[in-house]
Amino acid sequence: MQIESTRFGIVEVDEKDVLCFEHGMLGFPEEQRFAFIAYGEESPFAFLQALNNPELTFMVVDAFQFFGDYQFELEDAIAIELAVSPDEPPQILNIVTVPEKTEEMTANLLAPLVINRKSGKARQVVLENSQYSLRQRLFPDGFPKETTSGEGK
Amino acid sequence: MLALTRRAGEKLIIGDNIVLTIVEVRGDNVKIAIEAPKDVKIYRGEIYAAIVAENKQALAPLSAEALEAIKKLPGRK
Repeated sequence: MQIESTRFGIVEVDEKDVLCFEHGMLGFPEEQRFAFIAYGEESPFAFLQALNNPELTFMVVDAFQFFGDYQFELEDAIAIELAVSPDEPPQILNIVTVPEKTEEMTANLLAPLVINRKSGKARQVVLENSQYSLRQRLFPDGFPKETTSGEGK
Repeated sequence: MLALTRRAGEKLIIGDNIVLTIVEVRGDNVKIAIEAPKDVKIYRGEIYAAIVAENKQALAPLSAEALEAIKKLPGRK
């Protein structure tokens, strides 16, 4: 299927990459269907494009690639709603915010997206009583040198 | 908006299946017990507001330079 995105133009999306956030994202209850758009094969980053709103694009990251000890307990009610379990583990993604200085980009570890990739059911979950940050720097020491060479010269 | 006065021990019933009980009032603090169906998610107001604000912030447009720089980034595993 083809979808429209202000950021990417017309994008071809596989039906299996359409995620259904039954409750929407927090603050966007009306946006329930998002397409997962990978950002190259190696990249830990990806995008979620709202199907009904070309202007609504979230950048997301696989936070486990950055924070190896990131963990939280999923409430039973949510695990049941999404039909995830140890046998059917969820994919976890975290929304990224990119400020003016790109290298100060942060991930929202407090409100992860929990996704059942098989069924496409997904939900933004708020971690109660958690020490995790809404704005965790992904590159606290700036971008790795090898990837920034060639810029700012 | 509806504003009601309640005392400790009294209840409020919202719809057919949400019950709020004022458990205790002590100074500035009110302890409230909430009975609601499992699919009704309950958030502390300030946390909910912060996450909504962060979601909105995350939608800010990105420059082509920023997108290009991010595309080159490896994971840190």
